[in-house]
Order: sequence, then structure tokens, then C-alpha cells
Amino acid sequence: MSRRFNHKLEQQSAPAFFVRGPSPLARLAFFSALSLALMAADSRLEYLTTVRQNLQALLHPLQLLANAPSRLYRDTTEYFSTHEYLLNENRSLKKNALKQAVELQKLNSLELENNNLRQLLRTNQSIVETSVAAEIMHVGRDLFTKKIIVNRGATHNIVAGEAVVDSTGVIGQVTRIYPLSSEVTLITDKSLAIPIQVERNGLRAIAFGHGRDNTLDLPYLPTNVDIQRGDKLVTSGIDGVYPAGLAVATVSQIEITPDSPFARIICVPTGGVENHKQVLLVSIPRIAEPVETEIISAIKPDAKIKKSEIKPTAAKPVAAQPEMTKPAADNTVTGKPKLIPEAKPTVITPPNNTSKPHAAE
Amino acid sequence: MPPSKLKSLYLSLILAFVFLLLPWSGFALKIRPDFILLVIIFWLIRAPNLCNVGTAWFLGLFVDLATGGIFGQFALAYTITAFFAVTYQRRLVLFNHTQQLFYVFLLLMISQIVLLIIKTFSGADALGWSYFLPSIIGVILWRVAVIFGLNTGGRSRGT
Repeated sequence: MSRRFNHKLEQQSAPAFFVRGPSPLARLAFFSALSLALMAADSRLEYLTTVRQNLQALLHPLQLLANAPSRLYRDTTEYFSTHEYLLNENRSLKKNALKQAVELQKLNSLELENNNLRQLLRTNQSIVETSVAAEIMHVGRDLFTKKIIVNRGATHNIVAGEAVVDSTGVIGQVTRIYPLSSEVTLITDKSLAIPIQVERNGLRAIAFGHGRDNTLDLPYLPTNVDIQRGDKLVTSGIDGVYPAGLAVATVSQIEITPDSPFARIICVPTGGVENHKQVLLVSIPRIAEPVETEIISAIKPDAKIKKSEIKPTAAKPVAAQPEMTKPAADNTVTGKPKLIPEAKPTVITPPNNTSKPHAAE
Repeated sequence: MPPSKLKSLYLSLILAFVFLLLPWSGFALKIRPDFILLVIIFWLIRAPNLCNVGTAWFLGLFVDLATGGIFGQFALAYTITAFFAVTYQRRLVLFNHTQQLFYVFLLLMISQIVLLIIKTFSGADALGWSYFLPSIIGVILWRVAVIFGLNTGGRSRGT
């Protein structure tokens, strides 16, 4: 009787205290091996992109939940912002809009003229760009990298490699796509390089992120390079990723040490890398000429340009030579007679302009 | 195990995860303690039959997803930390609160050091001593939780 009782007691108490499954060491070995295999599969073989994408979509609701408090706070403060503040903001926005509208007019005519010149040169590089506005959801959680997460993803036709721009300049590049969000690596990240051009003299170089602080490096330039403090760096556009002419950084410091053949040039990014909420994702410029998979959409605007430009061919070069501010007005003039001899001299001038950067280098 | 405990385990883990997902930035990001690891350590100490090395590994995978790093680095760090936590779990009954605090600090540091080693192998720059701030904040958080009455299994000083 007592024996039976003891046996029963043992059976009852056994699971609570002693049954612990495999030993911790065995578990450690198993799960370490598993995670090492995962790391190898992810970093070297890149098998896990789709897995990651799908799981990330699963996390999205939780992410929205976590973002809710800060979002609520922002919304309420916006709601209770004063009348005067709104009026002021409205006024400055209107002023900006007016200024930009004028610049846009100029841009339209310049673009037309540019296309026109390209046609004359037979360098048929009509570049099609589209952009999508996005909002920063949160800063990347990894302290070792400089990344942000924005709220546009694969469902909004974002693809990896797109340039990310804010109102003041380039801030980074889309590096990873999730269904509803995407990861942007900032230009200050160590792993990101961006081809730039010095605005003052057209010198081309490549800027690398510095990683730890929010600066960019211009490595591998000789000590006698023609770069000064305060020089503005813009995208050169030769990489085919960033549209040409976007502001990237300003040179803030140049160190020349006698024992190094290279100058140490440090630049501060122009774009608000850390302090803006809205960004623009600019699609990779597609050049119309090379055969690509999405050629149909690329050709359509090109064909339109061809038609519309047959008429103003002669008008454009004439307008381009006297002054640069005028073409806004000349844009509408279309029915001018064709003047082939006049168009020819201008054919020679563009190569000179474009070859300037080459000469500087 | 009572199902209420299991429920609170899941709830605490989800809550920790939401805390991780909060939009941290700037200095707050630098000192953000590892909430999930803290919760895992708590459950490893309190209920090692519910939460074990495998649980830590699985949660590490989710943290990897959220941080967007190499898949498996947090999983490895959590696995190793959980191993040490589980191995010395039974000795912990003899510790008082201060000793336990030191022990938790060591566990948090182990996780961070493992991560640092992985990051260094993958070519990241060192961040300096401020990299270990989250461990210190984490321990402070642990202490605060104990003060507010969370039973972490340690004995109070007098007894």
C-alpha cells in the first residue's frame, strides 16, 4: 500500500522537477548550428530574401501598433496648432510654390531644349523618371548601420536601387523591399557609395559614407585636387541610379598630410539625413535606347517628344544662345520656319559643354 | 504549468516586442535596452520548463527580422545567453537581489558581446564604449521592476 503510494507520488512529482528534455548544452549546440547556417544562407547565398519579405509582412500590424502612440501625439499636436502658425506656414508655402512654379516653367523649356539638342546629336537619351512620395516610419534599429524604413514597398511598385531624395538633397538609396515598407540605406552609411561631381568645376569623384558620424568621405583624391571648402557636390548621374544634378553634400574640411598621397576630404550631407519626415523615392532613370524588359513604357514619352519637337527644332538653338532665362517665353513659340543652317553651328557647341568635365579630370 | 502563466508569458513577450518596435531614434536608440532579452531572462529564471534555449532562438529570429540585419545573429546571441541563464538557473535561488542584478548584467553583456563579434566579422566599425549602455539601462530597468514588486526569484537582502 505504502509502496504503491510512493510510486504514485514519484510519478506525479517527476515531470515538474526532472524532466527537462535535452540538456542545455545539446540545445545550445543545435540552435547555434542552426543560426550559423541561417547567417551563412542569408549573407553569402542570399536565399532568404523572400522568407524575410513574407515574415516582415506578418510583423507589419505590430509595427503599426507600435507606431500608433507617436502618430497619435503628432496628430493631436497638429490638430491643436495655432491659427497664426498655420497662417504663417500657409504664407511661406505659397511663396515657395510660386518660386518653384517659375523655376518649373524654366525647367520645362530647358528639358525640351535638351531633348532637342540630343536629337540633333543623335544621342537619343530620353530619360524617364517617376517618383513616389513616402513617409519615414522609423529609424533603422541596428546601431551599426545608417538606415531608415519608409512606408512604401513592393505593393507600391518600389524596386531596390531607387534614389531617395528630400526637399534639400539626396539622402540615400532603397536597399531592401518589403511588401508594405522598404529599407533605405542613408548616404552616411559605410556601405553606400554615391558618384558625385563638384558643382564648381565638374570634377567627378565617388563619395563614401563615413559610418559613425553623419559625414561623407571623398577618398582616393590626390593632395593637389581642386576642391575647396564650401564646394557643393551634386550627383553626376553617370551611375544610372541617381538623377544628375541633385545636391548631395558640401565640403566642410580638407586635410592634407605630407605622409599620405591622398587628401582627406570630409563633407556634410545637404539633405536632412536625420530630420525629415517626408521623402521622395525617385525611380531608376530608364534610358530609352537600350533594349530593356520595360521598354514599352520607356518609349511612349520618347515618341511623344519626337512628334512635338519636329516644329521647334530651329527655334530652340537660337533661343539657347543669347540668354538662359528667356526660353520660358520662347517655349510656346512653335510655328517658326525651319532654319537648317542655323541649327548646325549649335550642334558643335554641346559637345564642348559636355566635354568640360572630362577635361577637368 | 497553469495556463495563466503561459498566457502571461506570451503577453509579456508581445509587449516587449512592441516596445522594440517603437520608433526609437537618436540617443534613445543608443541606450534602448534589449526588452525581449530581459523578458526571456526573466522567464528562463522563473519558468525554465516554459521558456528554454529554443524559445530564445525563435525570438531572436523575430528580432533579426525587426532589426533588418543578417538573419540569425540575434538568434545566436540569444541562444548563447539563454544557455548560460539556464545552466546557472538553479543556483540563482541562493542569490540575493544584488547578486542577481550582477548576474543579469553579465547575461546582457554576453548577448551584446556575441553580437559585437558577429558584426565585427561582417565588417562593421566599432562603436566605442557607449555600445554597452543598453546593458546598463537594462539592468536598471530590471532593478526598477524588482522594486515595483516583480518577483524575479531572488531573495531579498534580509532573509
